[in-house]
Formats: sequence, C-alpha cells, structure tokens
Amino acid sequence: MSSPVLLAELRSSAPRRTWTRWRRLCQALVALFYLLLPWLNSLGFRPLAGTLASLKIGSFDLTEPAAGLAAALAGGRVSAVLLLGVAPVVGLALLAGPVFCSWVCPWGLLSEGVDRLRQRLRPRPWREREWVRLRTGRWTILAGVLLLGVLVAMPVAAVISAPRLITSLPLEVVYLGILSPVTGGLLLALLALEVFGPRRLWCRALCPVGALANLLRIPTTLAVRFAPERCLCPRLPLCHIHCPWGIDPRHAGRYDGCSNCLACVDGCPSGALTVGLGSPVGRR
Amino acid sequence: MVRFSRFAWLRARLVAPPLRPPGARPEREFTGLCIRCGRCAAVCPYRSLVPAGWEYGRHAGTPVVLPRSVPCYLCMECPPVCPSGALDPITDKRAVRMGLAEVNPNTCYAFLGILCRTCVDECPLGEAALIQDGQLRPVVLPGCVGCGVCEKVCPTLEPAIVVRAARGACGRE
Repeated sequence: MSSPVLLAELRSSAPRRTWTRWRRLCQALVALFYLLLPWLNSLGFRPLAGTLASLKIGSFDLTEPAAGLAAALAGGRVSAVLLLGVAPVVGLALLAGPVFCSWVCPWGLLSEGVDRLRQRLRPRPWREREWVRLRTGRWTILAGVLLLGVLVAMPVAAVISAPRLITSLPLEVVYLGILSPVTGGLLLALLALEVFGPRRLWCRALCPVGALANLLRIPTTLAVRFAPERCLCPRLPLCHIHCPWGIDPRHAGRYDGCSNCLACVDGCPSGALTVGLGSPVGRR
Repeated sequence: MVRFSRFAWLRARLVAPPLRPPGARPEREFTGLCIRCGRCAAVCPYRSLVPAGWEYGRHAGTPVVLPRSVPCYLCMECPPVCPSGALDPITDKRAVRMGLAEVNPNTCYAFLGILCRTCVDECPLGEAALIQDGQLRPVVLPGCVGCGVCEKVCPTLEPAIVVRAARGACGRE
C-alpha cells in the first residue's frame, strides 16, 4: 500500500489548511470577544455578559453543559433557567460534535500553541493507538469529578473548567484590577500541565467539558468519514500526525475523543477523509 | 477601644458565612449551584460582587459582598442574570435576605451620647429597616435585608453596625 517514494511524495505535498484557517479565525474571534466583553460591561454595556461557563445574550442564556450538570448534582436542584440555558449548547454538540473544544475554547487555542512550540523544540510524535489508553480514563475522570462535586457540595467540574477559568481572567482583571489568586492559581497549574505534562493531556483526557461533549455524540452527529479504498498512507498516517488530539481518524470510534477540528481532513493528501453528517463510513 | 484578635480575619471568613448577593439560595445549596460564571459580577454597576479567595475554601470563586469596601446598593440587577438558579430571580428589594445588621452599643456614637444618624439616613430601605428610638439610638427592624450600606457609612473606626450573614439560609428564613 505504501512505498518510500510515495510516502516522500505525500510528505512533500503541502497540506491544505482550509479548515484549520477557519478554525483559527473562529478561536481567535472567541478569545477576542471574551477579552473585550468585560471591558464593554464596565462601560455600562449589559446585553451581553458572562464567560464560557455561561453567556447572557439579552434575556437568553447559553450555559456550558458540564457546568450545568455539575451544578444540578452538587446543588441538588434543577431550575428551568438552567435547562433552557444548557439546551442550545447540547443541541450544537448533538449536531456538530464537541466543536466547543476545537473551534471555541480559548484554552484549546493556547494548548495547541504550547504543543506546537514543544514539538518544535523537542518533537514527540503521537504513539500508535495513543487515544485508546485515554478511552476509559476520560469517562472515569468525568464521573469522579461529578461525584466529588456531590460529596463536597460544590460544582467541581465547573470550577476546574479551563474555558471558564481563562475567560474569567479578563473579567476579574477589569473588575478587581488584580489577578484573582483562585483563577490565576488554577490557570497556572493547568499551564504547568500543558508545558511539562504529556502532550495536550488536559484537553484530551482531563477536562470535564470535553469529556461530556464527547459523550453527546449520536449516530447522526457531524463526523469525519473515512473511505479506506482511497487511503494511501502507511501505518502512522499524516492525519494522525496532524491531529491535535492524537487520534488516527481511520481507526478511532465514535467516543474516542475526536472534536471535529478537521485538521485530519486538511492533512489527508488522498481525499480519503471527508466530513459529513450522518453515520460515518468505515467506522464503528 | 477596638480589640484586635490575631484570628479575626480567619474567624470572619471561615466561621461566619460570607455575605451573598441578593436572592441567594441557602448557603450549602448556593455553593453547589454557583458555577462561578461571573455574570452577576459583570452586571453589577457598583462592583459590589467580588469572587471569594482561597481562604474561603470550597466557596472560592463564588460571589461575595464585602460591605466595608463596597456594600450592595440593592439595584436588583444580578438576581435575574444567574444562569444556574443559585440566585432566585427576585426583583423586589424588600424580599432580599442577605443578613441582618447588628448595632454594637459599646462603640456606636449614638449610644455614647454623640449625635449621629448616618446609618439611619443612608439605609436604602428607610423606616422599614432602621429607625431611631426615643433616645435617638439606631434600632434594626426585621425589614433589614443585610445590604451592608450602614456598615459602609458608619463613621466609627471599626464599624459599630455590622451585617451578620445568616447561617444556612439566605437571610433569616
């Protein structure tokens, strides 16, 4: 299926960057929005307010589902406002997959940046079938965090959520004039994990937001489809090398952590990977 | 004479429950429901709401009112914006139950015979919450909601009128 000549040819062909360009634009706009929002709020602008844990758009709410679930469990009470706020975000996840992680979350952008820098200094390619080791770990950790939240009556999943922390930082700086030791301390710990820990461990396995978003996949969710007959790549293919989540999209199952960032579709030189709604071809 | 205790700050933060924004659910439920999204703080025009620090333990990151820096002026902007139900969406400031003010007769100027009615003048709820008795001393009535304005304006070095956040329930239910 692969000869050294063909492989060299594949590697020399410049990868397309179509999806990744749009994704970077989307991530940058979200980051800019949450950077400027507190400042607008402090000038008296009220229709939009909040962080990635929950955003107020007029009288309409967008609440992050893991935070909502954690609050409902830890507080022992589900309010209508919580359900209404979570519904559109859950709907998006059911339709488009965990795009929150790859297209929205500013921590994801930072984590990918740190990872790229680390790869430039000391390359450490993904191991073969690396995602398999995280499969059960992700759900166990999510369940553990939610259970811990019930035990200490505090929504732990919301407190340690990286998107919440990084979007709270500008809010607290604008409103308090200082870095909050709680938010700042937790973010420093996360940053240390990104810099010194295994590649992108937080986003791939530990973050409750991503773990729950991954569980929300259904058969009709937007997914990367694989046409095996078109694939020309060797055992460690370009899509796996390019994947910021360490997944080989040719073999990963529905709940294996793919966040529809589409870097693999960009990286595939043979057109074997496409993206589409409905059940993926050639996958479990 | 103000008596300083080495552990006063610790007692104030660990033993006494923190003062919560208006409409807050009972304390245990509030800490569980609050997702620390910062929306209440973002809409507060007076910046009365600050996130609790590490010393608050599992309450860290939740909104608290520190009346000696900025009390709550009961504008009622924050209760309706809470997305998780940690704050009940009340809009009537008389329904707020953050705590109850307490006068210290040993330091209050009016009790010491000095003419002072600062707290009575500044109370946002007026005669429903804080009045003067026959000897012109301040008397806290059950209508007090615990906003902390009196604690902020009290002219004594260590405020002679202090809001006690009620333990367990939001206010005194």
